[in-house]
Amino acid sequence: MTFYTSEIYRIRASVYANQAQLDTVIGIRKYIDQHFDTDLNLNLLSNARFVSKYHLLRLFKRYYGVTPKQYLTDKRIEKSKAYLREGKSVMETCFAMGFESPCSFTTLFKSRTGQRPSEFQKSATFAKSVIS
Amino acid sequence: MKVKVISILVLNQEKALDFYTNKLGFVKKTDIPLDGDSRWLTVVSKEEQDGPEILLEPGPLHFEPARIYQKALFDAGIPFTQFNVDDVQAEYERLLALGVEFSLPPTPMGTVKLAVLNDTCGNNIQLVEML
Repeated sequence: MTFYTSEIYRIRASVYANQAQLDTVIGIRKYIDQHFDTDLNLNLLSNARFVSKYHLLRLFKRYYGVTPKQYLTDKRIEKSKAYLREGKSVMETCFAMGFESPCSFTTLFKSRTGQRPSEFQKSATFAKSVIS
Repeated sequence: MKVKVISILVLNQEKALDFYTNKLGFVKKTDIPLDGDSRWLTVVSKEEQDGPEILLEPGPLHFEPARIYQKALFDAGIPFTQFNVDDVQAEYERLLALGVEFSLPPTPMGTVKLAVLNDTCGNNIQLVEML
């Protein structure tokens, strides 16, 4: 066994011993992944896993390092990028991801990626054509 | 500031290019001849070709401390870097079938699942799946 492997087992035993908590946060993350395009909020998530919303918020941040809201936003941006790369329109992408308006989508997208969705789509398409 | 290129030290650029493209599935992006046999050689993720590039850097051949650092990490089983995958178990089985060796089989670690493989160019590489 390598030094790294033995450290993995040691840290896992000391940090990740509570399997019930892990099951809860992993369940929440999967729920967000499956419903990222709907109107998700903390109440809905806590009902889905039968835990209080404050406990849920603490647990999620403790195990994933980000709040459920941050995770959801990242997921929507990541999926938006995939849609835009596939050639879907900005409007289509915006509503498919559960954003309320193209304006709020564009503002958020630019703040996270440094580019407007249309600019991102143009450069992604160009990069793809250069490589292939 | 933006993250555009990250380096991986490799002992042989041609062998590394073969492993990272034909085994791991990356795509060659830039290949610029430099001094001697060295090249500015980068690969990118097939699904994210506009994403960060991995520079396959022949540092261990030209700079002794880099070689010592790389070997110390390798001998301890410590990954030089890591890549995210959707399904660690599926990647593990696919790569095993291609003859890739693993020092850590798929192992749950809290909210992730890990596996560590040998890139045949002097590094351990960790695959990570978020659970």
